[in-house]
Amino acid sequence: MIARHPAIRIAIAALLALASASAQEPLFDKPSRSASKPPAVEYLYPEQLTLPAGKPTKVALHFRVAPGLHINSHSPSEEELIATTLSIPEDSGVRLESAVYPPGTDFALPLDPKTKLNVYTGEFAIQARIVATAGNHLVEAHLRYQACDQNTCMPPKTITAAIDVVGN
Amino acid sequence: MKRNTLVLTAVLFILATFAWAGWANFEYRKQATERLLASAAQGELVPTAAGDAAQYLSPLQGKSAPAFTLEDLSGKKVSLADYKGKALLINFWATWCAPCKIETPWMVELRNQYSAQGFEILAVSMDDLDRGEPEKLSAEKKEIAAFVQKMKMPYPVLIGGDSISKPYGGLDDLPTSFFVDRNGTIVASQLGLTSKDEIEAKIKQSLAK
Repeated sequence: MIARHPAIRIAIAALLALASASAQEPLFDKPSRSASKPPAVEYLYPEQLTLPAGKPTKVALHFRVAPGLHINSHSPSEEELIATTLSIPEDSGVRLESAVYPPGTDFALPLDPKTKLNVYTGEFAIQARIVATAGNHLVEAHLRYQACDQNTCMPPKTITAAIDVVGN
Repeated sequence: MKRNTLVLTAVLFILATFAWAGWANFEYRKQATERLLASAAQGELVPTAAGDAAQYLSPLQGKSAPAFTLEDLSGKKVSLADYKGKALLINFWATWCAPCKIETPWMVELRNQYSAQGFEILAVSMDDLDRGEPEKLSAEKKEIAAFVQKMKMPYPVLIGGDSISKPYGGLDDLPTSFFVDRNGTIVASQLGLTSKDEIEAKIKQSLAK
């Protein structure tokens, strides 16, 4: 009855209009660059391994560098550059005995073609020699790297390669 | 009649309340936006003439360079304010950054060329520092010092740049440079490796005013 009154109708309309316009976010919400960037390197496989307990076993761990980016190889061309390095935390039930890294490829920045960097691009695999104790271990191996594109570099980063290791 | 007046008064009151709430909400969102932009004033790459590389446009351009005080390698405090009246290039770099290493000799040459006109470079290292571990910190400072010596950098080199990355737009990528005129205003910026000529043009821009 009251809602039929013109003034009340106006009030209800105003209420609805204001409610729809009153979202509580900032007027301009720009995602940060780091949040919008895909990771430079991702771990591919294996996700699961079954090994003889106590016996050193060779395992190839596969990674992929995002298109347009490169990371330093394990043997960078200059001492200041950060080498790509694999590690496995102590007390994880699995020990990294040794790691054989693939050779990098030569790469030069367009503005300095004379200086050759030694880098990984695309997919690469690290041949790890690991020893597992008996039992199930969720291992979080770490890959430290530093990525660049043709003109800029991103800070060094460490990613986790999660592997379910069963030592029999 | 009396009932109509009462209803109309109530409606006007409700509308006034809504209008106030709407205005307050708009102001809140406006302030939140300003805070967001100030805390993460990240730039963007904008295309220029056909065929040219995209130019980095920082939202800090045209604004006062954010103030800072950092240590140099000897532990001396150095403030941006110490260089009032000089044209400056604030260059964010790191020892692990290959493009930074390429542009550093250009920076050295340009600094020597323009220093007599009141130009200086402040090189802010973004290398990680383990301040809680004195031995590691000492080794990290030595690494930076070795780089500075190797590259014969004649201008002030400041460390701990991470602490001022936020007001300078996050500094997710290196090298990043800001060109500041004698009044302390950022007149140009640069993300990534560009040519020596482009750096020189921006230095001239900072000296022009």
